[in-house]
Amino acid sequence: MPRSLALLALAVCMAGCGRAGDRDDARAVTERFLTALDRGDGTTACAQLSPDTRAALVDEEGKPCREAVGSLGLQASAVARLQLYVTNAKADLANGDSAFLSQGAQGWRLSAVGCRPARGKPADAPYECALEA
Amino acid sequence: MRRHGLGLFFGAIFLAALIGQAIVGHADFNHAQAAHHGDPISLWRYVTSSEFGTDVFENWQSEYLQFTLYILVTVWLVQQGSPESKPLDRAGTESDEEQKIGRHADPRSPRWAAAGGLRTSIYSNSLVLVMAAIWIASWGLQAVAGRIAYNADQLDHQQAALNLWQYLGSSDFWDRTLQNWQSEFLAVGSMAVLAIYLRQRGSPESKPVGAPHDATGVEG
Repeated sequence: MPRSLALLALAVCMAGCGRAGDRDDARAVTERFLTALDRGDGTTACAQLSPDTRAALVDEEGKPCREAVGSLGLQASAVARLQLYVTNAKADLANGDSAFLSQGAQGWRLSAVGCRPARGKPADAPYECALEA
Repeated sequence: MRRHGLGLFFGAIFLAALIGQAIVGHADFNHAQAAHHGDPISLWRYVTSSEFGTDVFENWQSEYLQFTLYILVTVWLVQQGSPESKPLDRAGTESDEEQKIGRHADPRSPRWAAAGGLRTSIYSNSLVLVMAAIWIASWGLQAVAGRIAYNADQLDHQQAALNLWQYLGSSDFWDRTLQNWQSEFLAVGSMAVLAIYLRQRGSPESKPVGAPHDATGVEG
């Protein structure tokens, strides 16, 4: 019986241990990004993007991130649901958009924003995103 | 200590192998993190993660399934010439007398073997019941942990996560399951057949070296 209890504890732990802080962080990063965009604060918005995602935006737009990020046309919206698995997360917004996050050297950062499910089964096809790394 | 050498030896090498798996699995996970510009995670976080959990439990469930099946099917199925098999004429659950149950129990028999009724029925199948329970529990944990690890990959590729029901029907779950099952079934089947013709002097898993190939149910 002690072995069964230890296994159960491990399973519960794997599903949830240490995740509460991560969930709060991932949610806060997403909300900070959207609020900053709404206020026109490109510097703060860009700080919430992962280095690869920032580089992709600069590449695509040919101007600094803080100037380019406003042209994505994203609207502020509340985080309606957050899913977090190991070092990856997805925030579903009330307006139907989704954002993807990953945990990097600087903590949780957005790897893709303005995402909508592509045609077909969402589990099989990657979302189509306004910006991704 | 010498009287318990078999259990102690396997307990020790199990722990050594599990620790080794944790160390190299952690290094491999962080290698993949680096490839995706991710942050390395600590060893503790790795061993409490679903990535480690699913790798452990998928192997446990297949091992316990293997022994559960082997205990069960060797009641009825025999293999001529194999030390893993009972003599050909003893297939089945055998008589109470042969099994020393109820009034046939001797003074040193376990209490539940002599008790009769439900207790003896339970005790008569207790080995397979416990092995099957561990198999089901570890298979369930494989599913729970495997889904979390799978969903981490899904989100990394901007794909939707699966719920547990969807994951149970996924190719990932069945690929992890069947790749372990096939190796267990091969190993146990080949052991039963190879032991007809081959010998290991001194091992109870083998017939005596001089035993004929058609001698069944003889252990050296």
